[in-house]
Amino acid sequence: MIDITLEVNGASKTLSVEPRRLLADVLRHEFGMSGVHIGCAHGACGCCTVHLDGTPRLSCLTFAVQCDGASIRTVESLGGSEADHVLQQAFKSEHGLQCGYCTPGFLMTLAPFVEEMVAQKRMPEEGEIREAMSGNICRCTGYQGIVAAVRKAVTVGLDAGAA
Amino acid sequence: MRPASFEYHRATSLDHALELLHEFGEEGRPIAGGQSLVPMMNFRLARPGHLVDINRLPLGGIEIDGQVLRIGALTRHEAYFNDPLIARHFPAFLDAVHYIGHPTIRRNGSIGGSISHADPTAELPAVAVLHDADIVVRSVQGTRKIKAVEFFLSAYVTAIEPGEMVVALEFPLPPSASTGSFIEQSERSGDFGTASIGITLQFAGGKIGKAAMVCSGADLFPIRAPEIEEFLVGKALADPGAAEAGRIFAASIDPVDDHIASADYRRGLIAELTRRAIEAACTRALDKS
Ligand SMILES: Cc1cc2nc3c(=O)[nH]c(=O)nc-3n(C[C@H](O)[C@H](O)[C@H](O)COP(=O)(O)OP(=O)(O)OC[C@H]3O[C@@H](n4cnc5c(N)ncnc54)[C@H](O)[C@@H]3O)c2cc1C
Ligand code: FES
Ligand code: FES
Repeated sequence: MIDITLEVNGASKTLSVEPRRLLADVLRHEFGMSGVHIGCAHGACGCCTVHLDGTPRLSCLTFAVQCDGASIRTVESLGGSEADHVLQQAFKSEHGLQCGYCTPGFLMTLAPFVEEMVAQKRMPEEGEIREAMSGNICRCTGYQGIVAAVRKAVTVGLDAGAA
Repeated sequence: MRPASFEYHRATSLDHALELLHEFGEEGRPIAGGQSLVPMMNFRLARPGHLVDINRLPLGGIEIDGQVLRIGALTRHEAYFNDPLIARHFPAFLDAVHYIGHPTIRRNGSIGGSISHADPTAELPAVAVLHDADIVVRSVQGTRKIKAVEFFLSAYVTAIEPGEMVVALEFPLPPSASTGSFIEQSERSGDFGTASIGITLQFAGGKIGKAAMVCSGADLFPIRAPEIEEFLVGKALADPGAAEAGRIFAASIDPVDDHIASADYRRGLIAELTRRAIEAACTRALDKS
């Protein structure tokens, strides 16, 4: 067992973990972040995407011991239980989800992408949006609604910037 | 699935990493991005007793060192997209990187990890073989350089010995009148390729001088195509005989038959990718002339 300290969504905790434990499991079981979904546990579906020190990372391909001292954000940090983050609202209005299993991973992958587009003051091409989410699999929506949600969130961001 | 147990060690310096790898021998493995190793461990296809985390070592970076471009083992795949040296000297390399996985994979995966993992159709091993890169390997005994064509021995098997690790790759700088291209076909964007072809060309007076070609998907590791490299010498850039080159090459290989594609399909695909890659490289050469 190894002692590590993780800061998850603003709260720090020191705990003792076996090296073989995946960050995804530690976030779910030790931090109660059940928004971290595990679809495949081998990097293929993107469900388990979290932000590690600010950038998206697959928590099923990361050992918790590697993250000692790191700052981690899960989907719970985005818009809380109200899900009021602009991208979450856009997923809702544009039918970007059905069962919702894949949704936390898409949101954590795409939220920084939306931010970057808004910072660059431009609407991404459809191809760019699809490339940005190419590591995430959704079995329900057929992706159209997710692409539309990204566009909507970028539009809201651009309008807010222009106002 | 979840991994079997192991002991975790965070290397604090290169010497520390080498000492740990020396101590653990067959049971020790470096972990870089974890984008291939952790899936293998989760499936229990790999059960190393000790992981040596090299992520905090200063082994990244892309720089010119004399006559070579030196790429540190921990350079992440996404670093190539905005690198002026890669764009200027290695167009085939830059093409190839676009086919590697997805954004999150490219942000974390490293070149040292990719070539050490040695997936049969991974892009960076093919790029290393195409450009005659040297792979710089270190252990407590010292440093040795291995030619890329001698590094990849079979699917997931390389010339690295227990206790050794890759510290860098060295790509000889090509002359200015040269270019290249890389084309891949996969089942789904971001997946490992079914087959891919890389080409480099030197040119003068509208003709091809020296050429190099690499193919993934014809064998268990990336192979060069010496027959086609010779065939291309002296051909006009405007009419390089690309389709014929594709046919000749496809007739010379014996690709695998598996759940993704039959051997015949692969042969046909490789002939076509060869044609397209040669034509793409010649078009770039004409634009540069
Ligand atoms: C969904 C998915 C899709 C992918 N698609 C592609 C793709 O299309 N093309 C592609 O090329 N790759 C793809 N990858 C793999 C990715 O590129 C990996 O990043 C890469 O293969 C391994 O790099 P890494 O740094 O993650 O290495 P790790 O996973 O950390 O290590 C891989 C192996 O290399 C060893 N190793 C690591 N660093 C060193 C070193 N410096 N010296 C010696 N040994 C070392 C490890 O011990 C291990 O055996 C994909 C991965 C996933 C999960
Ligand atoms: S659970 Fe991590 S990528 Fe599928
Ligand atoms: S909403 Fe069901 S998998 Fe995406």
